[in-house]
Amino acid sequence: MNVDARPKIIGAAVQRREDPRLLTGQGRFVDDINLPRMLHIAFCRSDHAHARVLEVDVAAAAAMPGVVAIFTGADVLGTFNSIRATSRMADYYATELPVLAHDKVRYVGEAVAAVVAESRYLAEDAAECIAVSYEPLGHAVDVQANAEPGGPLLHEDAGTNVIVSRSFQRGDADGAMADAAVRVGATFRMHRKTPAAMENRGYVADYDPGRRALTLHSTTQVPGIVRDALEEMLEIPGNRLHVMAPDMGGGFGGKASLYPEEALVCLLSRRLGRPVKWLSDRLEDLLTTTQAFDEIVEAELACDEEGHILGLRADCLGDVGAYSVYPWTAAMEPVQVVSFLPGPYRVSNYRARARAVATSKAPTGAYRGVGRPISAFVMERLMDMAAAKLGLDPLEMRRRNMVRADEFPYKSASGIVWDKCGFMECLESVTADYDALRRQQAAARAEGRWVGLGLASYAELTGLGSRIAVAPGMPVNTGTETATIRIDSTGAVTAHFGIASHGQGLETTLAQVIAEELGVRVEDVEVIHGSTQGLAHGTGTFASRSSVLAGGAAIITARAVREQVLKAAAHMFEADAGDLDAAAGEIFVTGTDRSMSFRQLAKALYSEMGRFPKALREQIELQATRMYDPYFGTTSPASHLAMVEVDPETYGVTILHYGVADDCGRVINPLIVDGQVHGGVAQGIGAALMEEVVHDGAGQILTASLMDYVLPTAVEIPSMSVHHVEEFLPDNVSGFRGMGEGGTIGAPAALANAVSDAVGEDINVLPMTPERLYCLLNRDEE
Amino acid sequence: MKPPAFEYLAPRTLEQAVAALGAEDAKILAGGQSLVPMLNFRLLAPSLLVDITRIPGLDNVDDWDGGLRIGALTRHHALETSPLVRDRFPVLHAAMAEVAHLAIRNRGTIGGSLCHGDPAAELPGMVVLLDAQLQTTQRLIPAAEFYDGTLSTVLGADEILTDIMLPALPPGTGWGFEEFARRSGDFALAAVGVLIGGEVRIVAIGANEKPIRLLNAEALFNDASDIDAVAEAAGKEVSPEGDLHGSAEYRCHLVKVLTRRALRAAWERTS
Amino acid sequence: MIAVVVNGVSYERAVEPRMLLADFLRYELSLTGTHVGCEQGVCGACTVIMNGDSVRACLCFAVQADGAEIETVEGLGTVDDLNPLQQAFQEHHALQCGFCTPGMLMTGVDLLRKYPLATDREIREGLSGNLCRCTGYEHIVRAIRSVVGRSVVGRSVAGHER
Repeated sequence: MNVDARPKIIGAAVQRREDPRLLTGQGRFVDDINLPRMLHIAFCRSDHAHARVLEVDVAAAAAMPGVVAIFTGADVLGTFNSIRATSRMADYYATELPVLAHDKVRYVGEAVAAVVAESRYLAEDAAECIAVSYEPLGHAVDVQANAEPGGPLLHEDAGTNVIVSRSFQRGDADGAMADAAVRVGATFRMHRKTPAAMENRGYVADYDPGRRALTLHSTTQVPGIVRDALEEMLEIPGNRLHVMAPDMGGGFGGKASLYPEEALVCLLSRRLGRPVKWLSDRLEDLLTTTQAFDEIVEAELACDEEGHILGLRADCLGDVGAYSVYPWTAAMEPVQVVSFLPGPYRVSNYRARARAVATSKAPTGAYRGVGRPISAFVMERLMDMAAAKLGLDPLEMRRRNMVRADEFPYKSASGIVWDKCGFMECLESVTADYDALRRQQAAARAEGRWVGLGLASYAELTGLGSRIAVAPGMPVNTGTETATIRIDSTGAVTAHFGIASHGQGLETTLAQVIAEELGVRVEDVEVIHGSTQGLAHGTGTFASRSSVLAGGAAIITARAVREQVLKAAAHMFEADAGDLDAAAGEIFVTGTDRSMSFRQLAKALYSEMGRFPKALREQIELQATRMYDPYFGTTSPASHLAMVEVDPETYGVTILHYGVADDCGRVINPLIVDGQVHGGVAQGIGAALMEEVVHDGAGQILTASLMDYVLPTAVEIPSMSVHHVEEFLPDNVSGFRGMGEGGTIGAPAALANAVSDAVGEDINVLPMTPERLYCLLNRDEE
Repeated sequence: MKPPAFEYLAPRTLEQAVAALGAEDAKILAGGQSLVPMLNFRLLAPSLLVDITRIPGLDNVDDWDGGLRIGALTRHHALETSPLVRDRFPVLHAAMAEVAHLAIRNRGTIGGSLCHGDPAAELPGMVVLLDAQLQTTQRLIPAAEFYDGTLSTVLGADEILTDIMLPALPPGTGWGFEEFARRSGDFALAAVGVLIGGEVRIVAIGANEKPIRLLNAEALFNDASDIDAVAEAAGKEVSPEGDLHGSAEYRCHLVKVLTRRALRAAWERTS
Repeated sequence: MIAVVVNGVSYERAVEPRMLLADFLRYELSLTGTHVGCEQGVCGACTVIMNGDSVRACLCFAVQADGAEIETVEGLGTVDDLNPLQQAFQEHHALQCGFCTPGMLMTGVDLLRKYPLATDREIREGLSGNLCRCTGYEHIVRAIRSVVGRSVVGRSVAGHER
């Protein structure tokens, strides 16, 4: 076989290995797991946002049919080691992860008691009969009130509700901005979101009393992190404690932290000696799954008369809910807001503060974009506001300030280093039809239609290596990923990873990478992921890391195995390893028609006596384990362009055009990267136009169903044009850049700018619902 | 959540159903698209569900003196696709397209929607607009007298709605139906139905505790030149509840806007 | 006691009146392809076909399905023999996590049977009762578009020949 004829697998639109089972209803999600003697949990949850728990009366509930046991906070206290999201940050209070509330409840929905019964139906019947008496404590719902001293404290030991406070600066922002030709600023508000994956959270804990071993089947994006945390809490060593994420119905970050229920099912399974299942229903999901994006940012931008940025100032107040999420800490989101605020622009003078304020709501956790949607929203609005003052088109404003190719690597004002990537290429690509769209807009405006154009450019740091923590001082290493690749005695290839694919198609993309590097076909590679079994260490899938880290590990590990394959084949061909190559499942002597299959090789090496001398066979291993650490991370930029029309009477917003140009480096599977962009943009559109978690003044959640937490449907999401710029990546074994989160980062910013352009008013609060637009545009008439 | 326990009966005759409803705390189950979500939220805990969908003869759509007689168990999808509805009551045909989604329309019934009485649902507003006569197992009730509050009808506990009669409209009647919702298929933030025939009729949906004819606004209408004034009046005649989807002021504003649009469309369609 | 035919197979089971059809299919019959996302009839993940119509299995009690013929995703095709709609989903990458997919497919089947779907707008409106959080809907619309009006010899889009 000719070397040039070797099929290119990386970059091909290979159909997904996951699809056949998912399309035929043969997937295996947590709720599909039913084990013999399995019991079901229903929770009694607090209906107070901030209260002391005085008494939990379970007598009536315990007598209900099918009830096996009921546990309160007092029943489980002391039966596990408590855990906190620690950090080396100063000015940080690490809250204890509650498994069941015992002395206090701190948000509506916090679990107070767990009923274990023969069925979920019966467990709920009993849970309804539990009588809890509370002593209400002062309201601690409002983030701005809680940021001031003197009000009710959610965590008395902290002495404050401000559980993170960080400041930093570069250059002299105040000095640079004092006499600037143009200064623009505002208070920006992004309201609270919830990831709302279609599959609710769920856990099946299966304790085997005979082996004193626990297997947790969990809807988790982070099986390795959960396993290591559970080992601390339960003192079951890792060789008897496994966490497995089966097929998962989305995560988006909402399944990327350790949950009280997750730990509790393990405790109870061990205590009862039987498998225990808990499935969240949608109400519980909307109440208790980690929420996100809830920030108030006061920000100001100053430029010279040519529109060049002179300085930037920001103060970010993050509403992080009642607890500091494990393991990321409450700092993760507010700090990322300010770290990424300067964006892909030249900013030399920057001063910023970020505070995380505890409130009586579900904890803030990871959600696609993590803080950067707010960074982009604020910065891109400021850019448009400055452009308007200067009479510059917003596109020109970006061109004048965007970091150029000859400035890479560029150290941003917050210390983040942007490596060589396609900042300007993305901007130019997405605005290829800009002039035509502006003409369309002008024509529409002449007819009295409110049409606007909005741009957003941003850069993410993805595929973080060990040098960069996901949140400041957070001690859990997420900068490495390990792969184990093995060719077995049938010649089949199995690859183990610590990542946990939940829609990203990593079973396919990683198989593509391995197939190309090893020389087999995609269908020959079985990717095992989402499980702590078979691996020494892993974390999971979050922060757009899997293609970079697992992909990188796949490449170096596959190369190691390939070397062994060629060494073994060299013996069998009686040729030099340098004259051999492998592709499509065949090893061959280049330039000849001598070849053998991987299967033949494996059989010869493992199973057929006398084919290899002992000494040689002992030197060959058709398996390897390698750890990959990119050390820094990869820069993943993009630009978005939106054209919207706002109905001048109803204030409904329609998206007429949506374009994305991103640089995700070397594309593994074009279908999959397009899908990630579409999905991310759809969530960004939801965040910009309709999604909002709403609490009343007493901390009761008003958005308790999917009729009230409004997710976009196929009608609200437009078709999009997506272009991938594949910029060569320096110093990276794979050439892949992380991607997947960008849609939520760019879309709210682009839409805020587009609607501002359409209505002629500053849109600084999201979501911009018809109600908000009505108030904004009609307040002058009152 | 899972629903609480209940007894279940599926009678084959109206008499059996009425008798069953005499029990304490019994509720009618038809399509279930409004009732079952409430049970799944444990907002209701009836002791008995009386499934009336096995009773024959309640799902026909027949001529009624040029108008239509619609059986209470007629599914939304049947109304949506009925040529009789499309030809004789195009405003109803237009409204049916806004009702939820196909899977809901396949199960939901006109009787169920009317008896549930969500003021933001299309059908309660439609029967008021069309001056429907509602036939129950006990009496005939004009649509305008059917609702006595939000989600509340004048039906007795063991009274079953069996037919909805829609009187024929004068030939050449123009119609308009305008709805604004947050998403396709959602309950209306506001909707307005208009008929211009011998008289003008304007009904607002989602703008009061129950659907009502906007009589003051109607009184101002003579011809197209009055449309803006009528719309203005319509916006003032409603008293919607504000909620997290829209304030009362915004909904009043929507009623004004949608009335104007519906009147224009209806005027264009008169002949 | 109820009698149902599911994907061509007859079953008789004793059920509590409050058992939701979705739970009956998933736990009694071990047909876990039908997924539950909200139990409120909003998300559409639980959509199955009952007596020829797409319905929310979370808003129907198993007792109401007595005597009914039900089609679930398991009846459309097998991993070795996907039906044309399933194939179209795969070709167009119309699924990511796969949780909403069974509901999307069954809704797609009913839409294709009942509506002409002449425009993408019609497809999108038809899908507006099925929430997807992963795909942004674009590829799903393309997949269904590719099957509309396609004459597939020997196979109906909506069923699987046995």
